[in-house]
Amino acid sequence: MSEINNCYNTWFGEVCLEDGLKVFRSKNLKESFQSCKNWKLPFSVKDAGMIAFGSESEYYRNLRRTALQVAEERVRKELQSDERYLISLLKALDEIDLGINLFSEKIRDIEETRESSLTEKFNQIVSDLKTFRKDLENEINSHAERIIPNVSSIAGGVITARLLEKAGSLKKLASMPASTIQIIGAEKSLFKAISRMKKGKKAKTPKHGIIFQHPYIRGLPKKKRGKMARFMAAKLAIAARIDFYGGELNEELVEMVRKKYGELQER
Amino acid sequence: MRVIKEILNNTFIVEHRDSSFLATKSRYPPFYGEKKIGDYREWKAYRSKLAAVILNGYTPSIKKDAVMLYLGVASGTTASHLSDILDSGIIYAVEYSATPFKKFLELAEERENIIPLLEDASKPENYSGIVEPVDFIYQDISQKNQIEIFSTNADLFLRDGGEGIIMVKARSIDSTSEPSEVFNFVLSELEKFFDILKHGGLEPFHKDHIFVHVRK
Repeated sequence: MSEINNCYNTWFGEVCLEDGLKVFRSKNLKESFQSCKNWKLPFSVKDAGMIAFGSESEYYRNLRRTALQVAEERVRKELQSDERYLISLLKALDEIDLGINLFSEKIRDIEETRESSLTEKFNQIVSDLKTFRKDLENEINSHAERIIPNVSSIAGGVITARLLEKAGSLKKLASMPASTIQIIGAEKSLFKAISRMKKGKKAKTPKHGIIFQHPYIRGLPKKKRGKMARFMAAKLAIAARIDFYGGELNEELVEMVRKKYGELQER
Repeated sequence: MRVIKEILNNTFIVEHRDSSFLATKSRYPPFYGEKKIGDYREWKAYRSKLAAVILNGYTPSIKKDAVMLYLGVASGTTASHLSDILDSGIIYAVEYSATPFKKFLELAEERENIIPLLEDASKPENYSGIVEPVDFIYQDISQKNQIEIFSTNADLFLRDGGEGIIMVKARSIDSTSEPSEVFNFVLSELEKFFDILKHGGLEPFHKDHIFVHVRK
């Protein structure tokens, strides 16, 4: 390798341009497959690969096998990540809430028509579900505190999980401006407002989306909610960034949110 | 059952019990709940936008030995039929999201002409050492900057004279403007870098979508 500048990374190893193509085949294809970042290659990666593998069929056989192995591993890793675990717990929680409501309604329907020993069993099932719901919520809270400590300290586990679900990942949440975090979950009314404005009509943009569920916002009179939501979203944006870049729990942020809530309550 | 018309390699309009439908000839089993009669796998236009393009009367020529880059393969509904068509070609299939890709891998395991890549199509430099120069780019990603993504991928991988099909959903480019305005904008952007061979709507199968067929 006389000139480093003339070498490129391909999935099967290094290819250098010096009097034609010179191929240094990698010993670990899975590894080289995952580290072959370049801009535009001045040659066809397949032409170079035919030198390394001898024939077209061998080239594609190795390429396919490596691609499948890497893809399967990445999918497994991605699906098993902590963030996905939290989101799937949250989805389970929502489904269980729906179930509890639905079942309670049915029990009432049955009770109204007849006294039946069945309803007792049914009641038992619902009360078991409620116990399980509590366990689930505890798990969401403790898991959220572990992987996203700062956001969780402000918003609580369930709202944190909901923000994460809507954003898609902690990475995305961390790159969101506070104004976006403020209205996550209220997209429909936001876009409705924007399209009205475009037509020159009057419109109000939403004050809060998911974070409305927070007792500090819900617990305030309507007029003050916007102010609180704005403040909380600003702190959440900072918190998400600390969490994403691996920072530790910063109690100051929660304290500021608490103080603001206190001030708004008194006024 | 009888074949009424050949559309592309392994792609036919077939008639069965008084109804006719689009299908690809395949030795593989059904993949997404479509029916299979004999060797013919129904190609559902409500599920696959490319099938909608064909049923609306336009067939882009896709050669059976083409090398294709497919951006946004999702769970592989359309790719399963393209794999039937390109029976002596290769499909490099890119998808960013792991959830649909898991299902797609079932298809990639069984089809020898598919190379699966769990990558972000907006960062083509990450797979520049894997994908060879291609004859065709098929793009179906609902993203605001999808035209830019198409152009950078075409710059890196599409050979001169190569073609591409872009599926555009008005709402994912701009959710508040009129679809026709969005489409005009998209066409004018594409015109800067490509020859536009054909474009058209996907009604009644997909609302507020258009396809654009381009050549580099």
